[in-house]
Amino acid sequence: MKTVESAISAVLSGSITEITQRSIFNRLGPLASRPLAEISETERRTVMHELENSVRLFARSGAAELVAACSRVLNGETVGAGDRRDTGRSAVKTLDIQQEKDIATARLEAWSEAVRIGLSKFTSVKVATAVSELARNIVFYADRGKVELRAFTDAHGARLQIVASDKGPGIDSARLAEIFEGTYRSTRGMGKGLMAVKKLVDEFHLDTAPGRGTTVTCVFKGER
Amino acid sequence: MAHAHEPSDDASNLRGDQELAIIQIKNCLLVSIQTELHDRLALNLQAAIMERVRAVGAKGIILDVSAVEIIDSYITRILNDIGKSVRYMGAECYIVGIRPAVAMTLIEMGVELDSVNTALNLDLALEKLELLQ
Repeated sequence: MKTVESAISAVLSGSITEITQRSIFNRLGPLASRPLAEISETERRTVMHELENSVRLFARSGAAELVAACSRVLNGETVGAGDRRDTGRSAVKTLDIQQEKDIATARLEAWSEAVRIGLSKFTSVKVATAVSELARNIVFYADRGKVELRAFTDAHGARLQIVASDKGPGIDSARLAEIFEGTYRSTRGMGKGLMAVKKLVDEFHLDTAPGRGTTVTCVFKGER
Repeated sequence: MAHAHEPSDDASNLRGDQELAIIQIKNCLLVSIQTELHDRLALNLQAAIMERVRAVGAKGIILDVSAVEIIDSYITRILNDIGKSVRYMGAECYIVGIRPAVAMTLIEMGVELDSVNTALNLDLALEKLELLQ
């Protein structure tokens, strides 16, 4: 039985932490555990009112979209696998990375995208962590760049491609060898960001040269 | 000009959540990280903890990360640095409440949280610290 809580939780996961969600549902009281199909129009409005207040307070970005999505599920519109695939195919999210706070925004966006296309909870955390590493590299070494999230489906299921690109100084081949041998230590990080990403993802491609900038392309696969 | 010193949104946002409460229990310090552990916050935390360890002569520091959903290699490094620096000051740092997905991700990435102790939860960390005294 789909309850108000389970329906809304599916929308909010990845954008709002579980603990915050808990507090939102606590405020809804017994309404949260009611079956979605049985709530009245008045009750629906009460839920929406609470959500509008809470989501605006807690969501880092895209609060309006989240509230709209909650409203749709409360009105009984289903988000089926087919819909997901269609929206997934057309969706390319571009995130500009310039300063430290963009790193946090990027990882939350990546997380919600991963959850949205149906990657597992564990894979979604890996996605967010990888994007965090890539965005951090951009801020640390290239000043600015962008992260693109591209959801698509192939014969084996949902995929999320992450492209992190910058026009920074690039990485020379000697440094690259150090990075992937694990002997490189940067002064600001652990020098392990790229190596970490390579280990987390299912496909990894690095395109870099001194003076040309760096582009990292990687793909996460959903489990079957 | 009226607008000359208007603070930017970014600056005020950063100021707004730059500090975490450090709670003292006997000779332990407890920090519950209930927010996104962004870089500046983590660095400020390191400095604040070291000052407090010195000021109160703390034997143990417990960082509760049960609400932290993403820990990447940089945050790991900061946690390790906190562990190392307080160890030099004669105290032990415990990280408690690491989420399963975070733990698995750290293992896959091959980054080590080796300069801090860990405990499943706050109770167990307090228990371990009491044994140390």
